Amino acid sequence: MQKVLVIDADRCTGCRQCELVCSYEHEGVYAPTLSRIRLVKFEDRCLNVPVVCGFCDKPPCEDVCPTGAMGQRAGQPYAVVREENCIGCKECVHACPLGAVAMHPRKGVAMRCDLCQGDPACVKVCAPGALRYEPLDAAVRQKRRARVVALGVLRSPEEEEC
Amino acid sequence: MRDIVGDILYVDLTQRRAWREPVAPDRVIRFLGGRGMNASLLWELCKPGTEPLGPENPLIFGTGLATGTEMPSSGRTTVTCRSPATGWYLKTSAGGHWGGELKYAGYGYLVVTGKSEHPVYLWIHDGEVEFRDARHLWGKDVRETDLAIKREIGDEDIQVAAIGPGGEHLVKFAAVMFSVYNAAARGGAGAVMGSKNLKAIAVRGTGALRAAQPARYHQVARACYESLLADSGTAGLAEYGTSGSLNVVNELRLLPSFNFQRSHLEDAYPLTGQYLVEAGYLKRRVACFACIIGCHRYTQIVRGMHAGTFGGGPEYETLSALGSGCGLLDTEVVIKANELCNLLGLDTISCGSVIQWAMECYEKGLITARDLDGLELHWGNGPAVLEMVRRIAFREGFGDVLAEGVKVAAEKVGGDSYQWAVQAKGLEQSRVDTRSAKAYALAFAVNPRGPDHLHTETFAEFGLSPEARALIRKITGDEKYANPYLTDKRPEIVRWHEDCYAVTDSLGFCAFTTTALYGITPELMAQVFSAATGYEISEEAIMEAGRRIVTLEKCYNVREGATRQDDTLPWRMMNERSPDRPDPNAINSAEELAAMLDRYYALHGWDPKTSWPLRSTLERLGLGDVARELGALGKLPDEREG
Repeated sequence: MQKVLVIDADRCTGCRQCELVCSYEHEGVYAPTLSRIRLVKFEDRCLNVPVVCGFCDKPPCEDVCPTGAMGQRAGQPYAVVREENCIGCKECVHACPLGAVAMHPRKGVAMRCDLCQGDPACVKVCAPGALRYEPLDAAVRQKRRARVVALGVLRSPEEEEC
Repeated sequence: MRDIVGDILYVDLTQRRAWREPVAPDRVIRFLGGRGMNASLLWELCKPGTEPLGPENPLIFGTGLATGTEMPSSGRTTVTCRSPATGWYLKTSAGGHWGGELKYAGYGYLVVTGKSEHPVYLWIHDGEVEFRDARHLWGKDVRETDLAIKREIGDEDIQVAAIGPGGEHLVKFAAVMFSVYNAAARGGAGAVMGSKNLKAIAVRGTGALRAAQPARYHQVARACYESLLADSGTAGLAEYGTSGSLNVVNELRLLPSFNFQRSHLEDAYPLTGQYLVEAGYLKRRVACFACIIGCHRYTQIVRGMHAGTFGGGPEYETLSALGSGCGLLDTEVVIKANELCNLLGLDTISCGSVIQWAMECYEKGLITARDLDGLELHWGNGPAVLEMVRRIAFREGFGDVLAEGVKVAAEKVGGDSYQWAVQAKGLEQSRVDTRSAKAYALAFAVNPRGPDHLHTETFAEFGLSPEARALIRKITGDEKYANPYLTDKRPEIVRWHEDCYAVTDSLGFCAFTTTALYGITPELMAQVFSAATGYEISEEAIMEAGRRIVTLEKCYNVREGATRQDDTLPWRMMNERSPDRPDPNAINSAEELAAMLDRYYALHGWDPKTSWPLRSTLERLGLGDVARELGALGKLPDEREG
């Protein structure tokens, strides 16, 4: 079953471990601007929401790419940016509805999440558990259940007797 | 190692000039970073007798060596200057996200001198520095300032350090506020910033930091991460924040209440972190930069007369200073007072301290409602506390007296009010009753900035966790010394914590990770330094660097005229027994303190008569230049051979 990166923003503390370890894994340095996952902060409200590639089934970034740079590498299951093909036209940046594609500030090529080829580093360092990497059906099941619980349907046996 | 250390950015506000200088590698090895480097810079740049609120007082911002990297909980920034509250050394530090951003902009340090003709703010981005008009921001609170700067520059990811009206009005305990709600609070650094007409420092950078040994550094970060998460106290700190410990502190008879007349309250529950969660005030748990604990709080009041109150905190110290200390158990008033202090840019500890001192004066008839423009400042009067906070920030009426700090206020009010002015060196004591915590007592007495826990957090003496007891065994050889009522071995415990805390601050780690939780050990910190810089350092050597820093800070005060007499505790701690612990030993008597001080100075290699460091001590620590300067001033103690 296909695994997806699940973001539970309610748990995010805004520590930026995900950004830091992402830039390290991909570039060997620490720089949020080189991270493929980015934090949106509303500082006065202490609200933090991570934003990352949605791994669309019909990715607009790949549809608009004129050189085929946005796509999978032969023999690999995960999407990448083939930097050698990228001409820096930024069509993908504009096409992405999530704001999850950015330009590399130094190389002038597109950047997006590649799930660390199946073992995302950001998930491993997310201490509050705002990021999970799990099968899609499990994620949907949990979400469905949490939503129903939030409706107040589940009552304790004592309550139900009344 | 240049990018991970960061250059020094010098800004002269008088000349409107800015320039950068790299840090010499030798200086990094001697002073590590952050707090240590700041100490070295202040010693060099702040001439003896510098007026704290004059243009010459350098206001120094230093990021930790590891700040900006994945190293867990390493994002702290240290602010250093001569304190306008005490006239002594001031290092005060803050979390938030500003420090990392300064690193990405290319700087590890910012040294501000001079005074601008009119209010300005600095806009630092990727190596550029702009002096921007701040006349339209003067008078705005911290949150308004933060939002206005982000809006006018057009980037929500900018990090801002700012002062509020408290700093503008030179309140002696005005804070520098980082990332809106993180305060470098103690000692009045915000007033120094205000005296320079500097409203804010906005920072943004797109640079990258590379460790000298990247793979090893990453491995050390993973080890720190695992070690910190494994500490038995980490989950609780994340769950309930700093105020999660308030109940324990209360049970230990340590919770300063009614201006330290009590150390225990029957029902302190409304002031606990557990209650903030249970009653629904806690909306989010929040982390400082790279912190995997996330002990910061975001609270909100939705209903009632304080509806619309929101923001960071309140922390343990605030709940005690503005709550129990004022005889106030109303959670919502404390949340509101905390918001006010944040927005006005005031230290909640000192602000609560001066108000509770005034309350005791009011109850004892030394001041009346007439002195207070009609305010009835009796214990537990919430609306009066809120009004007093505001008057202090704007120096209105009696607020102007309190804005000078409790020492000066007691001189003005006179009578016996000095006896309950709970201060030493001119700084209001932080929120622990030292009469029942002897290592804290010693640590508070020798702290160069005054009586608080933020140079030396000796929480381990309570032995509340297996990690704490193990540490006490490591320091003293026996777990039985994990007993806060003993004076024995307190100097040894304080000495170890001083060194450890200095290293912690210098690398940018939060003290909670090393001296409240114990996941980040000195050994790990030595690894962090080695991998970051490529300069191999041992646990012993990094702790010695910590001692070098502690000693240099001491020397700053010696150069300004400090002697043994200044290493003391508030009158109340030394002359009144704690009423809530019927032990005759529940007092910090002069004899008890003197005995601990003798041993402490001996451990340091400082002269017991003057408390001044010996020449041989300074030379052993590689501070020969400091010894020469102190010698020329006649401030080296006599030292006989053998």
